[in-house]
Amino acid sequence: MKRLAHAIDRFQDYLGQGLSWLTAAMVAATVAIVLLRYGFGIGAIALQESVIYMNSLVFLAGAAWTFKENRHVRVDILYSKLTRRSQIKIDLVGHLCLLLPMCIVVFVSSFDWVLASWRIREGSPEVGGIPAVFLLKTVILLMPSLLALQIISECIKLLRALASEDRQA
Amino acid sequence: MIELIPLFMFAAVFAALLLGYPAAATLAGVALAFALAGSVFGLFDLSDLGFLSGRLFGIATNQTLLAVPLFVFMGVMLEKTRIAERLLDCLTGLMSGARGGLACAVILVGMLMSASTGIVGATVVTLGLIALPTMLNAGYDSRTATGTIAATGTLGQIIPPSIVLVLLGDVLSNAYQQAQLQQGIFAPNTVSVGDLFAGALIPGLLLVALYLGLIFLTAWIKPDRLEKTTERTGKRPSAKELALGLAPPLTLIVAVLGAILGGYSTPTEAAGVGAFGAVLLALAYGRLNRSTLRETSRETLKTTAMVFFILIGASIFSLVFRAYGGDELVRSVFENMPGGEIGALIIVMLVLFLLGFILDFIEITFVVVPIVGPVLLAMGFDPVWLGIMIAINLQTSFLTPPFGFSLFYLRGVTPKSVDTRDIYKGALPFIALQLLMLVLLAVFPNLATGLPYALRG
Repeated sequence: MKRLAHAIDRFQDYLGQGLSWLTAAMVAATVAIVLLRYGFGIGAIALQESVIYMNSLVFLAGAAWTFKENRHVRVDILYSKLTRRSQIKIDLVGHLCLLLPMCIVVFVSSFDWVLASWRIREGSPEVGGIPAVFLLKTVILLMPSLLALQIISECIKLLRALASEDRQA
Repeated sequence: MIELIPLFMFAAVFAALLLGYPAAATLAGVALAFALAGSVFGLFDLSDLGFLSGRLFGIATNQTLLAVPLFVFMGVMLEKTRIAERLLDCLTGLMSGARGGLACAVILVGMLMSASTGIVGATVVTLGLIALPTMLNAGYDSRTATGTIAATGTLGQIIPPSIVLVLLGDVLSNAYQQAQLQQGIFAPNTVSVGDLFAGALIPGLLLVALYLGLIFLTAWIKPDRLEKTTERTGKRPSAKELALGLAPPLTLIVAVLGAILGGYSTPTEAAGVGAFGAVLLALAYGRLNRSTLRETSRETLKTTAMVFFILIGASIFSLVFRAYGGDELVRSVFENMPGGEIGALIIVMLVLFLLGFILDFIEITFVVVPIVGPVLLAMGFDPVWLGIMIAINLQTSFLTPPFGFSLFYLRGVTPKSVDTRDIYKGALPFIALQLLMLVLLAVFPNLATGLPYALRG
């Protein structure tokens, strides 16, 4: 179990750290767009859309790694004063009763819609845009999938932490 | 009873948030629990959740919100180049020798820094770490020193370009359209992030002036609270050093703002160019290397994912809230409010102020503003003015003891020798200035609306 959690964490690390370079690429692409537009009067639609694709990957696929790194905002007025045991319990219940249902609903409610987009290989509404809107929509399914994977790892780690708290008590 | 379900939903989510599980998932999870329970009793149609995919896609393809990762990148990069420290050194060198000089330097650095980062915690922590020890050593009493830093740290929200105003601009523009459509206006006026930036500029600078005025007043009435001696500490920077320290970040900020306010580029484009400028600046200062770039990118990804994840959670919440008739409930409450429009506005401001103790700017912007915004805007309040009022109101909330975020962050980096009560008392005069600013804005709305509408021509 411990190894499973470790493997998932490693996977999310690689993914998150790899994806993070896209933020630098977004900066470069935006500068290129501005240069082309104001320097040469060229409107680079595909390049503009590429920034949207990159941003979607960053925040949808990056959400799970951000969870692993515990960087999602909490209202910690009370939480920070609780014992470690209580914090673990809150996180366990939260993962299973709040985050997991969210993942399931996002996945299920978007599945047919993404499938329909695949069926027609949906392209860009703009002329000269990236002809892969069906892939962009697929990223919406990626978010709940990666999050669900991370829930498994987090729950394993939390249960182990709870057990070790018990031993100490 | 059934009409009151949205109210229960709000209460439940509020209680759940206090448990401390990440806010985005709490918002979504509680809303979904209500949806599920409702469907069992035939009060909620689960197929309504099918709208979710469209909403998520809307968030993913939103042009305005693209400015968020780019502005975050710029802010983190500037932080990594230690520009704030450099600026502070430079300005204290220039201003030491005058009573209150150090405090003024801190306020000005805070203003410049916050303009680029726009995240409360970052500015307060940085200033608390680098400026507070210097101020205390120079003989400042701890109240004046901590008050100045806590207040200065909140400036980041109001002084453009700030991420908070980008988010608020996006939400308000939707709310404004909705308000007009409900009134049967099918070619609605718009409000943009640029308008909000322009609207925030004068109130933001006025606040800085008020802060500086407070320090001058202290120097005059209670000089013993400031520097012990007016002898120069450290050497006066040469004109060249000053230009080298001050010019690059100033140019960057003025260029980014100028491009947006002058209508030359969208906030997203300006943010991208600003981020690139920050990279060049890091290069010029010899701080650009693989590890800086890697750290900046990772920080940017985590912050961006955090912001958007709250947006996703909040939009799931509002989907269910609307389906239960929450919008109509809020509208009918406001329409029957004693005191009419003004009464409604005051209540909203008060509620936001109190919520500011618990929730941060992002959550309030994504959860509460979309609910109350359309109602207030339909009553005829100006969207830019309302946005700035909300921003300053929340800024005040973050400064108010005992729950203000800014005070929390500062407490975290302040030596134990400084009493928490002193931090609280130090914030009080600045809170008074914030309230004064709100009153000024209420009496002279032109302070906020003048510039954006003049720029539009």
